[in-house]
Amino acid sequence: MTRPAAIGLRSVHKRYGKSTALDGLDLEVAEGEFFCLLGPSGAGKTTTLKTIAGLEEPDSGAVELGGVDMAGVEPYDRGVAMCFESYALYPHRTAYDNLASPLRSPRHRLPAHEARERIGDIAELLGIGALLDRPVGRLSNGQRQRVALGRVLVRPARAFLLDEPLSHLDAKLRQAMRAELRAIGSVRRTTTLYVTHDSVEALALGDRIGVIRDGRMVQTGTREELWHRPYDTFVARSFGRPRINLLPGTVTAEGHFRSPDGAYELPLTVPAPPGAAVQLGVRPRDIGLLGPGKGSGVEPAGTDRGTALELTGTVHVSELLGRATEVTVRIGGQQLSLVVPRADAAGLRPDRPVRLSVPPESLLLFEADRPARPGRRIST
Amino acid sequence: MKRRVLAVAADLALILYFVFALFPVAWMVILSLKPTNELFSTYFSFSPTFDSYRTVLGAGGDQGVPFVRFFVNSLVVSVGAVALSLAIGLPAAYAAARWRFRGSENLMFTLLSFRFAPELTVVIPLFVLYQKLGLFDTYVGMVWVLQLVTLPLIVWIMRSYFSDLSPELEQAALLDGYTRKQAFFKVALPLVKPGIAAVSLLAFIFAWNNFVFPLILTSSNAQTVTVGALSFLGGDRPKYNLTAAAALVSVVPPLLLALTIQRYLVRGLSFGAVKS
Repeated sequence: MTRPAAIGLRSVHKRYGKSTALDGLDLEVAEGEFFCLLGPSGAGKTTTLKTIAGLEEPDSGAVELGGVDMAGVEPYDRGVAMCFESYALYPHRTAYDNLASPLRSPRHRLPAHEARERIGDIAELLGIGALLDRPVGRLSNGQRQRVALGRVLVRPARAFLLDEPLSHLDAKLRQAMRAELRAIGSVRRTTTLYVTHDSVEALALGDRIGVIRDGRMVQTGTREELWHRPYDTFVARSFGRPRINLLPGTVTAEGHFRSPDGAYELPLTVPAPPGAAVQLGVRPRDIGLLGPGKGSGVEPAGTDRGTALELTGTVHVSELLGRATEVTVRIGGQQLSLVVPRADAAGLRPDRPVRLSVPPESLLLFEADRPARPGRRIST
Repeated sequence: MKRRVLAVAADLALILYFVFALFPVAWMVILSLKPTNELFSTYFSFSPTFDSYRTVLGAGGDQGVPFVRFFVNSLVVSVGAVALSLAIGLPAAYAAARWRFRGSENLMFTLLSFRFAPELTVVIPLFVLYQKLGLFDTYVGMVWVLQLVTLPLIVWIMRSYFSDLSPELEQAALLDGYTRKQAFFKVALPLVKPGIAAVSLLAFIFAWNNFVFPLILTSSNAQTVTVGALSFLGGDRPKYNLTAAAALVSVVPPLLLALTIQRYLVRGLSFGAVKS
């Protein structure tokens, strides 16, 4: 028997009036783990955190901390710290008094001089050392957000629950804080559940990531698992900018993928029922540029050249993304976007033919999307 | 040109309104300054005197009306009623704002309904009850009955103040390690201070101005200024000048309170608490 999970949710349901916030959510966060919960707004991320903190009562299901059922345990007895997306700073107090609040409470009290030292350290770490005397009403949103984060980090906790703690920082600071956050000693030692809608943040920070949608956990796993083996098109679309190409088509009798207008066919490595409506997923950065094509027409590709598959299309548009270029290529009636080094795309002109290489192992096959249910990945 | 005519017309309208609004007050002031023998003259020339004020405040000859005592009674009763209402009403308002429990809306409505019913509808049974219970003409009795006036006001207004407060502030306090009681006293209560100041003033004025309850439920010991001021009208000759002086003196405490508290009446303390 392994150690009990630091945080465990078992089939938690929560409704607010007519709307369902959590619809049988399962979640397990291991001791000391940094777990990122990723999902669009309204997916139930904040409700999940509040349910764990004991601020919301689940309608059914169980919340466990360290293997102990938390039903009926008051928030102040759960020993978790939470950073609210709204900051929830005490507006009638200074930044210092906000940071000191947990250290003056009956449960986490520190002697005043120790508290001062601890607050000083944290404030320094978060770059708000000079702002401590100010009332929080006179701080910018980014500064308030750091005070809110600081109020969590100053105190010992069995788990940190962070609700979009970097969302209101400016881009540069956010990047710096993202890099530093995991290195902070208390964060390294403490189980952390980090909620975000930003997939870049989730990929950068999470030991493991959970993708949540409509109050249900779609998939949990490491960043590699989510990237290479997404459960469905929703998860696949959640990661990577530009987004993954999802090309609708059908499976032929030979088990090939065929685009709707028959412009191209690609052999598939996974067995799929012939005639099934499917989507082929291929990430823009996995596609290579081989050079200009021979003709302006679309030639059926799929010829083995080494292992890579080959596709021919015409350039639609290309857009500079700094060192790389995003090229959109038309193949028959479909569009495919790819990201290539800037030098490779130098000679491309709109409407010119172009040849692409696609490594077969990077192809993902999904069922067709249905209303309210993204297509699942088809695997062997 | 047209704009100037409009501006002059607006000024004229305002002046007319001021005359209309201030005339009764001016009349009262004039009346209070008149000596008794010129009381019923309708022209404006008279020899002003502060005799009425002296009499009312007990410095001159006693008219058989202990007005200073009524004044103190009013203060005690009004402050007492507001204090009791705050002690009961603030937690009640907080609970009503934060939790929907069975019958909570009915309870709130019942409380409000005390303000619909004219006081006269309940005052006769109350008179009988107070006689039996020994509450007639006592401070306790008055403070108690004035809860009908002050408590609904405080609960309803403070509920909306608490509702405007983000519950996440108290939730943050809970996670900081404070109990719900501490979260209420340390976080929620300080943030509604402007509301408490405003509603206390309002409740104080309503309690101070109440007429029917002291009229029926007090006789001399706990009688208040509103009823007491009229005592000067009894006797063989109504002394309107004394009543006017008494009325003007009794306006002073609410007025002073309003002026000192004005600062708090402006909201805006909770700006920046929660990202909008």
